[in-house]
Amino acid sequence: MRTRPKQIDVRTNTLTKAKYIAINAFLIFHILAIACWCLPIDSPLITLCKDRVRPYFLWSGLFQSWDMFSPIPKAANTYVEATIVYQDGSRTTWTFPRMEQLSLTERYFKERYRKYAENLPLDQNDALLPDAARYIARLNSTPSHPARTVMLIQKWSFIVPRADGSYISEPWGQHILYGYGVKPEDLK
Amino acid sequence: MRLRSLFEAWNAFFFAPQSPIPIALFRIVYGLLVIATLTLLRPDWLTWYGPHAWVSLPTMHTLEPGTRLNLFAVIPQTDASINALFWIFLGSAILLTIGFLTRLNSLLVFLCLASIHQRNVYILHGGDTFLRVAGFFLIFAPAGAALSIDRLTIDRLIRIWHGKEDAGIQPRSPWAQRMIQFELALVYFATFCAKVKGAPWLQGTAMYYIYHLDEFKRFPIPSWFLHPLMLKLESWTALVLEFSLGVLIWVKELRYIVLTLGLLFHLSLEYSLNIPLFQWDILSAYILFIDPADLTRAWDWLRTRTAVQRLDQ
Repeated sequence: MRTRPKQIDVRTNTLTKAKYIAINAFLIFHILAIACWCLPIDSPLITLCKDRVRPYFLWSGLFQSWDMFSPIPKAANTYVEATIVYQDGSRTTWTFPRMEQLSLTERYFKERYRKYAENLPLDQNDALLPDAARYIARLNSTPSHPARTVMLIQKWSFIVPRADGSYISEPWGQHILYGYGVKPEDLK
Repeated sequence: MRLRSLFEAWNAFFFAPQSPIPIALFRIVYGLLVIATLTLLRPDWLTWYGPHAWVSLPTMHTLEPGTRLNLFAVIPQTDASINALFWIFLGSAILLTIGFLTRLNSLLVFLCLASIHQRNVYILHGGDTFLRVAGFFLIFAPAGAALSIDRLTIDRLIRIWHGKEDAGIQPRSPWAQRMIQFELALVYFATFCAKVKGAPWLQGTAMYYIYHLDEFKRFPIPSWFLHPLMLKLESWTALVLEFSLGVLIWVKELRYIVLTLGLLFHLSLEYSLNIPLFQWDILSAYILFIDPADLTRAWDWLRTRTAVQRLDQ
């Protein structure tokens, strides 16, 4: 009787059958799971798939999102600064490194501040604010000149498209993100 | 299409042995990018990851709950141990680049990279994410099967000397390489899908906003680039390119055209936008789409030219 050679023997000359099956299961799972996770499709099936794979993706580090400048690019220039009031009543202002004020080399090294300052004002990241305030308090205090309060302020200037493509900088607005009363243990 | 031919196509795509040179080259560029990332972070290792970092470990656990692959959760929270982790990470990235104990070091690099990302997800850009996900699949790839120290083990050299092993590079199953290729294509396609949901991209005004974001400005852009008609063209070109790099890249006849356009696209972004390393992180995976035969031809051409130049001197 003539027997047909197995396909996997032809294609996967060095793989055992068990290994071949395991790799295929791995491939199919990851292709489907990553596609469901990444593609911005509103479907109950996709949502269900995302929920199922979430623990594994978060654990393994496969979580990802690809929405740079989308669906709508940021329409305002923003930055975050802090007003520090000291025990003696004096005050100072500290600003997160602003890329537009740094040299090309400095921007390479300070990129993380840009991203952090972009995430800090988001509502879902409110829990970051106390840590940020404490860090700024430590950064701006000395034992003889300790900070009493830190106020985080977001500044913004809207980017308004003009018919001829030109750009005129809009006035800066501001709002207080967070106020924090510094405790002595925060400065240790 | 019959089910059997689909099955055969799947096998051919993921398992037909091919030269490991593209994945080995990718390993080298990947390793260099990880080293560059760590070097740029060096002044702020403790600022972002130390015991008194901008985001504390408990805050991170509150914001990002659940079990994570994160070495920071198990090592002592002291300056010394955190610095040690980074030095081990850097050492491992160097060893991965030169291809010494490649499998072990790809695992270590991924583990460390995932850990620093898990420790603070609020300072990451898309390039970091791509390195992490690609690093996961790199663990399973035969990345040390070419252009590596691993290939120069005494044992192997003796076997080659005695004619028991071929000195040439052995073809390998490329399934892990295919997953990195899939990831790259998906990055583009997902970005395309996200963009077409936004009115500014469809109306062609998106680039206006991007060019006027102060934090992203790098080198001066010619004023005619900011003309409304050009802005429309640029916004739509970005959409077409992202779609092409996600979908048409799989069509063999179009691949090199799409890759060339993608390269030009990223170089123009590298010139105009300030997102350090992002473009290079993404471009690194283009290597995986180059036919190994073409890579060999390019290498031979380069060697011949170098030899001719030497003779001329």
